[in-house]
Amino acid sequence: MTEGFIKGMGSVTGGSGAMERDWCGELVSYIRGADRVAANALISDWAERSSYESAVVELMAPALELFGKLWADNAGDTSLAQGYVAAKVAEDLLSKVLALRETSGLPPAPAKGPVVVGNIEDDFHPLGRKMLVAFLRCDGWKVEDLGVDVSPGAFVDSAQEVGARVVGASAMMFSTAKNVKRLREEVDRRGLRGRLQIAAGGAVFRLRPELVVEFGADGTSPTALQAPALFQELWARSVRLFPG
Amino acid sequence: MSGESRPLVCVACSIFRDEMERLQAQEQTDLPVRFLGSMLHMVPERLEQRLKAAVQEELAKGHDVLLAYGDCCPHMVDIEEGDGVGRTGGINCCEILLGREAYRRLRREGVFFLMPEWTLNWKAVFRDTLGLHDENARHFMRDMHTRLVYLDTGLIRVPEEELTEIAQFTGLPVERMQVSLDPLLASLRDAAERILGHE
Repeated sequence: MTEGFIKGMGSVTGGSGAMERDWCGELVSYIRGADRVAANALISDWAERSSYESAVVELMAPALELFGKLWADNAGDTSLAQGYVAAKVAEDLLSKVLALRETSGLPPAPAKGPVVVGNIEDDFHPLGRKMLVAFLRCDGWKVEDLGVDVSPGAFVDSAQEVGARVVGASAMMFSTAKNVKRLREEVDRRGLRGRLQIAAGGAVFRLRPELVVEFGADGTSPTALQAPALFQELWARSVRLFPG
Repeated sequence: MSGESRPLVCVACSIFRDEMERLQAQEQTDLPVRFLGSMLHMVPERLEQRLKAAVQEELAKGHDVLLAYGDCCPHMVDIEEGDGVGRTGGINCCEILLGREAYRRLRREGVFFLMPEWTLNWKAVFRDTLGLHDENARHFMRDMHTRLVYLDTGLIRVPEEELTEIAQFTGLPVERMQVSLDPLLASLRDAAERILGHE
């Protein structure tokens, strides 16, 4: 039986306290080994002792936080495959939670958002965006994913349609990141500055964070794993500025 | 196609080696070309250092520099905007070879491009650098792409064995597309004219 979760260490203590298991450490280890099957097996094991819903908050979230730190620091020689597997494991878990809720007749869990994400116009590199979507959804956000090569007008149209306060624009290279400036202009042109916050992300913003200000975005995060915290911050900023 | 006031040299990615040499052999260009290894792309910061050094060396020799590159490193714009320096238009080597319209159309269809040189080095790219193996590689590629397209510039034998291996590795079908060197040549000419126009 699960008795407790030591946040930051990820240990769950067995009945007598003699059998401790570093769940979080194990999960990160499987992700770093790009072993999706083993990661999912570990989560199933957790769910047998507790639940998939608790795995989202108590296991996946701290594991992603830890992995995100390793990724941001590049301390673990993080590879594209590891980041991809982290996103897929988060997606797999979320799918199980949603399926269980549906079969149990439970209403969907209350969602944060909605938010809109997409690759900025001319950008065709979907990986970062797909990871962002997975981690946001795992964090409880309702996400409208517009795909690749999204024009500034399409971003804002969608945000207005669904009532989003944050749009996330992904760009891999400087050439395409320049189009975030056009998104800024479109948001301003429609009188939505402050109400609709722009999160910019992607390799070029990680390597050149000064571009966030230069292109008029409202914030960025070093990795997709850390994006949910950024979206939370930007959403709160929008609400402070425009409570209605 | 050479500079009038200062000699123009080309610093090119080795992904274009065969194509540049063919253009030279056809006397479509007389640009002297200095190649940097295409695998530098896997470490953009290192590519940037090498590019900056190569450009500085050529400028110090009194040359103008034409970069036959896409937007391949984070500060490419700073490198290409220096005096006497210009770059081929295009986000990456595939767009330079195909032209903007064809590139955009195929990318929207979910195509993953295979250039001849990278096809020969596919194991180093997919496995060693990206860390993709077995089931992960298939899931990853099928999540991101719909098919592979080998860009055949007709200068080397189509590496059928490697294409079959890549198709099996990624789980994606592979097509061969013959491409002309005209878009590359046009891109080189445009960049040369821009550099000369600034002088």
